[in-house]
Amino acid sequence: MEQEQLIKPPVEIRYRQELAALKANDSARKPENWQLSPQAVRTFILGSKKPLTYEGKTYDIQKKYFGNDALVERCIVTLAGNRGLMLVGEPGTAKTMLSELLSAAISGISTNTVQGTAGTTEDMIKYSWNYALLLARGPVREALVPAPLYVGMEKGILTRFEEITRTPAEIQDSLISVLSDKVLNVPELGDHGILFAKPGFNVIGTANTRDKGVNEMSSALKRRFNFETVMPVREAALEKQIIINEVNQLASESNIAMEAEEDVVELLASTYHELREGVADTGSRIDTPSCVMSTAEAVSVYYQTMIGGYYYGGGQISVDALVQNLVGAISKENRDDLQKVRDYFNTVIREKSGREGGKWKEYYEARKWLK
Amino acid sequence: MERILRSEEMAEIIFLPVRHHSPACAFHVKRMIEKLRPAKILVEGPQNANELLSVMVHGETRAPFAVYYSYDDAQGRISEEREQYKCYYPFLDYSPELAALRAGAELDIPCAFIDLPFGDILAASGAGAGLRSKKEKNNYNDDYLLAQNDYIKALCEKSGLQSFDQFWEKYFEVNGYSMDGEAWFAGLLSYCKLARENTARRQMEADGTLARELYMRGQILREAKLLRRAGEARCLFVITGGFHTPALAKDLRQEADAIENELERLALTRIPRERQGVYLMPYSMEAADALNGYASGMPYPGYYQKIWEKLGSSARPYEETALQFIVSSGKETRKKEGMLSTYDEICADAMARGLAKLRGKQEPGAYELIDAVLSSFVKGEYNIATDTPMRILQKQMTGDAMGELCRDAKVPPILHDFREQCKRYKLKVATTLTGEVTLSIFAKKRHREESAFFHQLNFLDAPYARRVKGPNLQRGTDRNLMREIWKYKWSAGVEAALIDASVYGATVEEAAVGMVRASLKKENDASACALLLSQVFEMDLRGQLDAVYDNMQEVLVRETDFFALAKALKLLRKLRQLRELYQSNLVIEPLLESCCRKLILLLPSMAAVKEDDAPACMEALKLLYQTFGSAQELAELKEEFLRVLGDATESQKVHPGFLGCAQGILYGCGSKSAQEIEYAARGYLTGTAEQTKKVAEFFHGLFFAAKDIIFTSRTFLELLDGFFGEVNGEAFMKILPELRMAFTYFTPVEIDRIAKLAAGIHGKSGGQVTGQDGVPADWYAYGRQLDEYVRTQLGVR
Repeated sequence: MEQEQLIKPPVEIRYRQELAALKANDSARKPENWQLSPQAVRTFILGSKKPLTYEGKTYDIQKKYFGNDALVERCIVTLAGNRGLMLVGEPGTAKTMLSELLSAAISGISTNTVQGTAGTTEDMIKYSWNYALLLARGPVREALVPAPLYVGMEKGILTRFEEITRTPAEIQDSLISVLSDKVLNVPELGDHGILFAKPGFNVIGTANTRDKGVNEMSSALKRRFNFETVMPVREAALEKQIIINEVNQLASESNIAMEAEEDVVELLASTYHELREGVADTGSRIDTPSCVMSTAEAVSVYYQTMIGGYYYGGGQISVDALVQNLVGAISKENRDDLQKVRDYFNTVIREKSGREGGKWKEYYEARKWLK
Repeated sequence: MERILRSEEMAEIIFLPVRHHSPACAFHVKRMIEKLRPAKILVEGPQNANELLSVMVHGETRAPFAVYYSYDDAQGRISEEREQYKCYYPFLDYSPELAALRAGAELDIPCAFIDLPFGDILAASGAGAGLRSKKEKNNYNDDYLLAQNDYIKALCEKSGLQSFDQFWEKYFEVNGYSMDGEAWFAGLLSYCKLARENTARRQMEADGTLARELYMRGQILREAKLLRRAGEARCLFVITGGFHTPALAKDLRQEADAIENELERLALTRIPRERQGVYLMPYSMEAADALNGYASGMPYPGYYQKIWEKLGSSARPYEETALQFIVSSGKETRKKEGMLSTYDEICADAMARGLAKLRGKQEPGAYELIDAVLSSFVKGEYNIATDTPMRILQKQMTGDAMGELCRDAKVPPILHDFREQCKRYKLKVATTLTGEVTLSIFAKKRHREESAFFHQLNFLDAPYARRVKGPNLQRGTDRNLMREIWKYKWSAGVEAALIDASVYGATVEEAAVGMVRASLKKENDASACALLLSQVFEMDLRGQLDAVYDNMQEVLVRETDFFALAKALKLLRKLRQLRELYQSNLVIEPLLESCCRKLILLLPSMAAVKEDDAPACMEALKLLYQTFGSAQELAELKEEFLRVLGDATESQKVHPGFLGCAQGILYGCGSKSAQEIEYAARGYLTGTAEQTKKVAEFFHGLFFAAKDIIFTSRTFLELLDGFFGEVNGEAFMKILPELRMAFTYFTPVEIDRIAKLAAGIHGKSGGQVTGQDGVPADWYAYGRQLDEYVRTQLGVR
């Protein structure tokens, strides 16, 4: 599989070299069927200042997940234990990314995934049948089409369950007995129909708490998971760094020869940060919009503006386009939100444009697009 | 550990650096003493506490306790403000200093404190720095120099740890207690050296560190020489905060003579002993917890206490303690919330061990314990609704133990006075049963005195007695009551609070007087001043009344806050009403007058009062009105008030509530006729759409000040009635809450009367409006059916 041909290569391909380097240098004890030791998994996700040598080259392991280090450590230990891991939190807090990183580092594969929707059924989670084979040969193993949970148990790898709260509660509950007994019964296969999970199997779920249309999890299911609440990044400087990293990554994957401009990212990062926290860096109070002001949203606003600049703007990013894209991002749910952002520009940004000048001035002048 | 070998002049000196409140450190200190058996142990701590040593190590004294130091700077040696200073030196069972003192007592090794006396530390510190910082509680053993600098920041970042406490726990506690003592102290010493190199000299000078070190060096030198001269072969132990150790050891080696010279210079500034107090007081775990903000040292004292108890006796103290806390917090969570299984606890234990392994710790520490409970006990998103297990754990890790002092403990005179007075009033002390007394404060002099005693204790924040019934001057409630009922209960906290207040005086009354004086020095607003006056009144501190009174007069002249003045006026009125009952001859009238005069002066600016302040402003107007109503001597001022109020109503931006209230008062005093007020009301009723929204606020103000107006003239009702007929549904709903407020000033009987009058306008009798038709039987049946349906849907029986 060539990296260039994919829009978004999975983590294990993106970081193939790093993972191999870590594996080669890993001397700590591994849980059965894990590709890396818990220590190496931690290093893979949180980075390390010590470069690793592998096949004559040195690798710096970059920090990939910004936020709470202790949370990552808890996640790793949970996955080595008997309970599933449930990442909950607001949209755009990098829950999915964390779950991909964990899967890739622990099982070497991050694509064994159930993508939860309102229409998810039990056979998309456990198994279904190849009906032609089923008719021809009856219920035999060859006719069974394993779904991610089956695959995870059979191979001893992690099964990711994205957006678990979007699936109806009764479908979510099909996980309950599998998680506690680590056994899946396929009655159609008769005596051979019992699948025991191999060591290394576990489930990582992600769930949104703020979106509309989510289903509450049953307490029986909750009991089988350790919950980790992923909080939005609270530091403006960190948020800026995340945007730059992500945007550059996206650009290189799409062969766009542009890099994130720090001062423009600064505009966006501080806007998102201040609107989310409800306080400007000067201490002024700000009305917070009801829409999701996540870092992931900020990344997509910037990236969109960058693509526009690349194809239409002669490789230059324009602050006007940035504000236009910002409008698109915030006026998704509620028109009042736009008014709040307008007020924000008329107070906080105006004051900053006077104080800092430069890009801030340009940014303030672009407020004409806020309509 | 730093060693200065025996020389011709001095005995061998061994320096043990410590961090205050560290179980591992206390453990190693104790072992070192047992192993090396020094001839004498010198401990960092103000020298004037030496007399307390025997009580500190007494078998009946239980930690946590604190040494309380106070200094009354009546001569102004520290600063011109002549303030009272105090600070605390808390000890827990696992404080290395206490461990050293106890080990010394056990092995018959003499011990002594070697730091500058408290007053001299103050003299050596710059204004606002070190023990002179304006904190609520100053701590003698502040470790901030060890914990806050760029070096430690970089160190934490590099080791992937979040804070100094986490760093310390990993390397010095969990992985440190089982180390060899010498190696452990060597590690700490190199850390301390680096921390010291990264601290600015300026800072050490400002907070008195350098002066203290100089003094301590002098003491060490003296003791070492004495021991040598006595032909002592054993060594001298010096136990000080790790931050000082490198400096103490270094200079002692090099410049013994220079130290002596400088010491002489320092001796010149000596602060007299007699105004310095030093006592032991019981302390609580809560107060010792660094997370509560006013202490330093390690957080979670309850948790580390458990560790300390297990150190030496258990092979895996941290692991056992983690499990113990998982089980006890699990039990408590189950009691409060239900649904926490033993399996959750098993998972938490596995998590704690797993995290310890991942983080390179021999056993799970406090942070692994917290992470384990967070991940295994909290179900669903972590927020205020689901964080009960965390709060429970936090509380248990803080602990709730309170120390106790042995019977021989020297107590400050204020405590003797307290016990004497309790005896005199036959109140129980030293049992924790609640007692009750009923005091006829206006009839019996002795009861009044007892009540004053209770009030004084409350003023000193000593939680002994609580008034459950009786006239309340401050709130203005229950003024008709002639007796006070008090509940009282003794606790160690009462004594701790009294020791805390001992810097202000030798008796309860003296201390109360001292505190009154201290609070007079603060910048108070008029309401705080009036509050103080009322408290002095209750405490029966007749000698202080004049001072507070004068202060009040000054403040009234300065005060420009309308609302603070209004609050002061309210209190002053209460005082005047009760003055005779309390048999006081305090002349309140001049104060009342200047307060009123100031309020009138500020009145015009209140016409355009902000929405949020409107109720308080209306309250103030009414208060003024009532004050003038009852005081004949203020007649002249009353005229002025009405004139200013009249002018204010003419203001263009006048608030409708203010206007209504002002009109009501003017009407009540006869300076405006009902017609004039009608005219104003009509203005709102027939105004533009925005103005009609203010109708309700206007009536709210009007009825607040003069509700009877509605009965004297029928036109008001007709006006309102007409308005209700015209206004559309949506607008009506908007003003309804305010309208409801407006009509709350009427009693139910009056409301009935209004309803009848209103019905009359429409040609109906009162009964037709107020009487209700019976509800048809089928409505009931339908209602019951609905109820039933909802119940079955919800599955409720």
